[in-house]
Amino acid sequence: MSQASGNTPGVPAIQVSSLSKSFPTGWLGLDRRLVLRDLSLVVHHNEIFGYLGPNGSGKTTTLKILMGLLFPDRGSVTILGSPLGSAAWRYRCGFLPEHPYFYDYLTAREYLDYVGRLFSLPAALRAERARDLLERVGLAQVAGIPLRRFSKGMVQRLGIAQALMNDPEIVFLDEPMSGLDPIGRHLVRNIILELKRRGRTVFFSTHILSDAETLCDRVALLRSGELLKVGRLDEILGLDVLHLEVVISGVDGAVLAALPGVKQRHSMGERWRLDVEEPALGSVVRAVEAAGGRILSVYPVRQSLEEYFFKEMAGSESDEREWGLAD
Amino acid sequence: MGTGGLSRVAAVAANTFRETVRERVFYNLLIFAVLMTLSGLLMARLSIRQQDKIIKDLGLACIDVFGIVIAIFIGVGLVAKELERRSLHPLLAKPLTRDEFFLGKFAGLGMTLLVNVAVMTAGLYLTLWTVESRPDPRMLKGIYALYLGLLLIVSLALLLSTLTSTTMAALVTLCLVVAGRFSDVIRNMRVVAPAVPDWLVQALYYAIPNFRNFDFKDRIAYGDPVPLAALGWVTLYAAVYIGIVLGVGARVFRSKDLV
Amino acid sequence: MSRLALLLLALAVPLVQGRIDRVLGEFRAQHEALYLWSGEQVRRVAPGLEGLAADVYWLRTVQYFGGQRAFAGGKRFDLLQPLIEITVTLDPRMEIAYRYGAIFTAEPSPIGAGRPRDAVALLERGVRALPDNWALRQDLGFYHFLFLKQPQEASRILFDASEMPGAPYWLKSLAASVLAKGGDRATARRMWSVIAEQSAGQIKSNALLHVQVLDALDEADRLTKLVAEYARRGGRNPTSLEDLRRAGWLGRMPLDQSGTPFEYDQRTGRVSVSRRSPLWRPGF
Repeated sequence: MSQASGNTPGVPAIQVSSLSKSFPTGWLGLDRRLVLRDLSLVVHHNEIFGYLGPNGSGKTTTLKILMGLLFPDRGSVTILGSPLGSAAWRYRCGFLPEHPYFYDYLTAREYLDYVGRLFSLPAALRAERARDLLERVGLAQVAGIPLRRFSKGMVQRLGIAQALMNDPEIVFLDEPMSGLDPIGRHLVRNIILELKRRGRTVFFSTHILSDAETLCDRVALLRSGELLKVGRLDEILGLDVLHLEVVISGVDGAVLAALPGVKQRHSMGERWRLDVEEPALGSVVRAVEAAGGRILSVYPVRQSLEEYFFKEMAGSESDEREWGLAD
Repeated sequence: MGTGGLSRVAAVAANTFRETVRERVFYNLLIFAVLMTLSGLLMARLSIRQQDKIIKDLGLACIDVFGIVIAIFIGVGLVAKELERRSLHPLLAKPLTRDEFFLGKFAGLGMTLLVNVAVMTAGLYLTLWTVESRPDPRMLKGIYALYLGLLLIVSLALLLSTLTSTTMAALVTLCLVVAGRFSDVIRNMRVVAPAVPDWLVQALYYAIPNFRNFDFKDRIAYGDPVPLAALGWVTLYAAVYIGIVLGVGARVFRSKDLV
Repeated sequence: MSRLALLLLALAVPLVQGRIDRVLGEFRAQHEALYLWSGEQVRRVAPGLEGLAADVYWLRTVQYFGGQRAFAGGKRFDLLQPLIEITVTLDPRMEIAYRYGAIFTAEPSPIGAGRPRDAVALLERGVRALPDNWALRQDLGFYHFLFLKQPQEASRILFDASEMPGAPYWLKSLAASVLAKGGDRATARRMWSVIAEQSAGQIKSNALLHVQVLDALDEADRLTKLVAEYARRGGRNPTSLEDLRRAGWLGRMPLDQSGTPFEYDQRTGRVSVSRRSPLWRPGF
């Protein structure tokens, strides 16, 4: 597969401006329920972009608008420099929807072949790509089995495969890890990382923060249809160290009790793990060494995305009422 | 649309056809084969002077009824099922436009019906041959007209499925088909109901699809001529009407939010 | 598709429909009134399948009146009328239904319903539905002669029939002879023979039976003439037909077509069909 080529410098991969979407609700469908509110973000080339938020925050709605399945009330979207309406960029992107469903009367190979036909790929290329992709997602053994016999995890893997059938420059994935066992999740992670290595752009949404933490270059945090924050993970989470985890041995209880700046102590057999505030590190190390103990490791702990998230989410109940969101 | 578009429509059509095969729509052919065999045997035993006509009538009626059932009940599900199961979602992100998808579905079911009708026609000719009736090429003309009617029904089913639930769509399509077969009654309504204004009668007559245009059965049974000019006009009617129905349907489908 | 295109197509519909109505209209033989005034629920339930439904009713009719029961008693002819009525309403061009219905409506009991006027009405309906059909008019003419005893009317109708496309060449001469000879037996015999020839199954057997009846009457007349001749020569009537045979005038004892011996009334000298014979008809 070739490297992505020829992108105009300065033109972002995805540009969303003031996107708003509401759905009819109420008895005659006359009321409107606001699902996305004035969303604006930019995704650069060759980055892994995480679109994060709890369930119901509007992630899937955003993706569907990007894919042309829903029509926004207001706002505009450009993908690879072309507006939504044009078909040009569709040849260069791949999409995995949430809860994908494919035709259960087809086999995996047949479905990929169908997808390939929609991209006007010649027959030989279709067959070759289908083979390679099925291999890559670990479905090579079941290529000829009808999809109605696939488990949820297998369907998900096929979903990844069909999204890559056209060797896209941008890949949009809605909850790509859902339904996968640890091996599957590992597979998907590797595929995403490999896409980045090859110069592709990945936009994926998830509500599982640990995935985002380890994969994404930049993230957007969505809450109830509104963007909380967009930016690099380390910027959002701050470079500040919360505390340090120090593992020591050979020190008895009395010495431990006397150590300054220790927030918490955990026993690990004959070793101790201490949560130490940063300014107190120096004095703790000297005290342990003076007591004849050993410092086994020091590890800085930063705020996790999850903690950040919960902190931000907690401030939201009053806002929900303000927007008239019923859920 | 361009050549790319045409090949995409063909891809959707071929896949739709494959679906009907694998979902065993063609089982109706088995029933048809049984019916034809039985009738052939029965006619051979009773010599009541009408063998030809009865077998032809039965055969044509079967092709008609089976065709209508398939056209309506599969037609309303073509798009609706894909929406409901969301199998459409990954596909529309590809270069496939909604129009191409819509047309492809229509073409696919049209293919299915064509194969169905063709096989039943062959079976009918075979049955007639076994009772030593001379093969009548005019029957093909009548069946062609019948097939046009079936295509019109598919387009109606498709349109209605974009507007309402599949059950309602099937019901309304069926009503339109029945009403369309009574077009002559509608046209002459004023004989029994003189109070109905003429413009209303005319409007109804032209608006409701006239399925009697596609019915040449009695002509075939009685050896009347089926002029090519008439077939030409009937084809034009079908083309125009199907064009309208598909056009409106595609427009509705184009602006639908696919939740 | 643009709105303009849709609008243009919509306008095209009535134009094309009008064209179709003009082109196909000339062959639409059914009277519009038939469609509206027929009370048949079958037609309402299955539009577009009238032909098939007519076949079904026709099958029922034949099965009810056919088979071994052709000449058996106890048949309900009140069913025949509605069955035929429904059949020809569903398919007004089913010639066989009119002819079949007419025979069994006209024939006297126990063979038929014994209502020749209704039979004639049925045939007239058939003639209206199939105005170019010579066979129906032929039957109509025959019936006027055979059942209604109206040779003038019969002849006129037969002349009309002979003008129809496909009519056999002898129909005209038959029409003429009906007019010339009035109510004679030869003509009647000829008509029944024609019917026998044109038909199959029950209708044929029924017609052949009529022919046999007439043949028997002819034979009886011939024998009566022989008796008269014998009486003229011998001065008195023979005691029985046996005398004629002994005198060498007859080869063997005369039997009618059913194998029954003729009756001879010595007093009047008349030979007639035996009452015991199935060919006996009242009035002869």
